[in-house]
Amino acid sequence: MDTLVRFVIALALIGLGVLLYQAWSGWQLRRLRRTPARPGLEGWQAGRPGILYFTSPDCAPCRTVQRPALAQLRAELGEAVQIIEIDASARTGVADHWGVLSVPTTFVLDAGGAPRHVNHGVARAEKLRQQLQSARAGGSGDNGPRAREMALDL
Amino acid sequence: MDASLQKVDHSALRVNQAVIIALLLVSFIANAAWLAALVAAVMTVGALTRQPGFRPLYTGLLKPRGWVKPDVLNDNPEPHVFAQGFGAVVLWAGVVALVTGPAALGWGLVWLVTGLAALNLFGGFCAGCAVYYWLNRLNVPGFVKTPPPGAFPGMRPRV
Repeated sequence: MDTLVRFVIALALIGLGVLLYQAWSGWQLRRLRRTPARPGLEGWQAGRPGILYFTSPDCAPCRTVQRPALAQLRAELGEAVQIIEIDASARTGVADHWGVLSVPTTFVLDAGGAPRHVNHGVARAEKLRQQLQSARAGGSGDNGPRAREMALDL
Repeated sequence: MDASLQKVDHSALRVNQAVIIALLLVSFIANAAWLAALVAAVMTVGALTRQPGFRPLYTGLLKPRGWVKPDVLNDNPEPHVFAQGFGAVVLWAGVVALVTGPAALGWGLVWLVTGLAALNLFGGFCAGCAVYYWLNRLNVPGFVKTPPPGAFPGMRPRV
């Protein structure tokens, strides 16, 4: 078997892993959307998209990367976005409900509070911004013309 | 907090997993069984010294330069040591298969270790740790640690 074939096989197996991860994330979001109860969103104000951010006091990447990214979004978007922070170590029941396995984990919610995207691990401001635009348009990852149009006023 | 828990730097564990994945991918693409054997040897030494095998790369290069920040969590180090040792055994079995003939079996075992390391690195689930905690529940001697409070067995602690 030559090197090129082996390289292609490696790529295919990595791609399979990525697909499995995406399928699992999609299943997790669908399960959450079907569940009427949304613990942790007690202060949620319907009508604006937002981010549900799970962290913990000892989480280093939360402090060094995730929180600054969220602060950047807050500075850019102001009241157009709401950010709810939850200490997963203190509110384990809420973290379990949302299927949080590690921190940071961020859920991007649409205006009705339904989860549209989930990021396991650190999510950069740019990625969250795109997901918010998609969530505002009611999508789940597909940034079509309607998403781009509505993104202008986000 | 459980008094038996210790400070475990999960950044060192993640660097270890990332290097293992990268080197095993290269070994497969280059058809270099010797490289898989080298990774198995480093993992074995790591398990015996109770440290991530590629920890020197983290402590000597990545951490001092600030390229990877420490991520210290309250956790049990023993399951991670066991997981690395378990991975090393599987990898050695793969290397033996590669050397003695059944290459498909050998590379299959190499990919198994790669996949489980990727699951740990990207998904936060340590399969070897889960096996450790499972053996603990079966009261197997030597497996004395229980999962950190609130953590699913094998999952990365949230605190």
